[in-house]
Amino acid sequence: MLYGSLAAGAVGMWLATSPRTGALRVLGSFLASAGLIVAVAMFSGPGGDVTNKILFWMFAASALLSGVLMVTSREPVYAALWFALATLGTCGLFMMQATPFLAAATIIVYAGAIIVTFLFVIMLAQQQGRSFYDYRARTPIMSIVASWLMLGALLWNFQEWQKSAPAAETGPALTAEAASNPFSQPSELNKVDSLRALGLSLFGDYLYAVEIAGTLLLVAGIGAIAIAPRRAEGTI
Amino acid sequence: MTADSGCYLAVGAALFVLGGIGFVTRRNLILIFLSVELMLHGVSLTLLTFGRMHNNLEGQSFTIFMLTVAACEAALGLSLVLSLYQRTKSLDVDIWSKLSEPDLPKWDKPVQPLESRVVREEHPASPRLTKAGGLPDIDDDFPVELAMTTDPRKVLTPSPPDDDY
Repeated sequence: MLYGSLAAGAVGMWLATSPRTGALRVLGSFLASAGLIVAVAMFSGPGGDVTNKILFWMFAASALLSGVLMVTSREPVYAALWFALATLGTCGLFMMQATPFLAAATIIVYAGAIIVTFLFVIMLAQQQGRSFYDYRARTPIMSIVASWLMLGALLWNFQEWQKSAPAAETGPALTAEAASNPFSQPSELNKVDSLRALGLSLFGDYLYAVEIAGTLLLVAGIGAIAIAPRRAEGTI
Repeated sequence: MTADSGCYLAVGAALFVLGGIGFVTRRNLILIFLSVELMLHGVSLTLLTFGRMHNNLEGQSFTIFMLTVAACEAALGLSLVLSLYQRTKSLDVDIWSKLSEPDLPKWDKPVQPLESRVVREEHPASPRLTKAGGLPDIDDDFPVELAMTTDPRKVLTPSPPDDDY
């Protein structure tokens, strides 16, 4: 079942990247994303109630479908917009993994800054619309075969891993003496999904790395300013 | 592995592979960068899932650093793409395949047999006859044939950059 859906996804990707008529390409995109979603459905779904499951499948389906459409769409502007949708779906999955700060930060950085920069560059560089090099994919069959081999290996690995995993995530039961000890209680301040714990980890354990990342941003900004403008026109 | 993290890992792997396909198959420089960003999404989803599985914060911290590096990479890459575009007025990545070694075979062309690469040059001592219908070689302007050669080293030499772009 897993490998059948993966094969259907590969056929869909091949249809979607080949230079065919529009209807076949749309059909191929939907077939590819449906195959990927069925392959994901082979794994045990998210825990929790029905709302949790509905939200997970909504976010996963939107992320995968817009990822496929981004890779195969012929217009660069549409590809950038599909990438924005894939970002939103991925951020929904982040939110379901109890990391709301990262979801917000990813939406702000990607959808707010990076997509806008990409759209500006597309506007600056490709004003005549579609070009011939957007119509013809490069070595589609070889890349799809290689990527799907890698995906099949990864999913097979996850499946074997899931078989050997314990069904529940409850650890060994605490003794009465340990349960009465206040230090063995989960602290409100150090819960994994709290922003306070993340801030303590960033500015405690990774303080030097944070400083280096800030310096890297500064250097990249200076470099982008130095590379981009046209010196012959006296911008710099 | 907890019970409900398999589907998140599968979605992350699928996003990564989709970005990889886009990186290889697209020929537009901007879309190649966008595909790299899609691969980064898959990796960060996987990092968050692993961090939640092991109940620690390393996954979230790494994802924040990945965001930083992705922003830097997008800024530098897009400015490089802009300067490349101003040089050739095209976003086709195949133009820049000239930057590779000219002797190496191209990805989409079969390797030429060795005989066709060799410049067929007549022995200078042997007498040469003008071709029928052609002008006689008065001023001994021999290198015409050399210019018509199929030597890839000569054909694929990139033109010198014009400084007044």
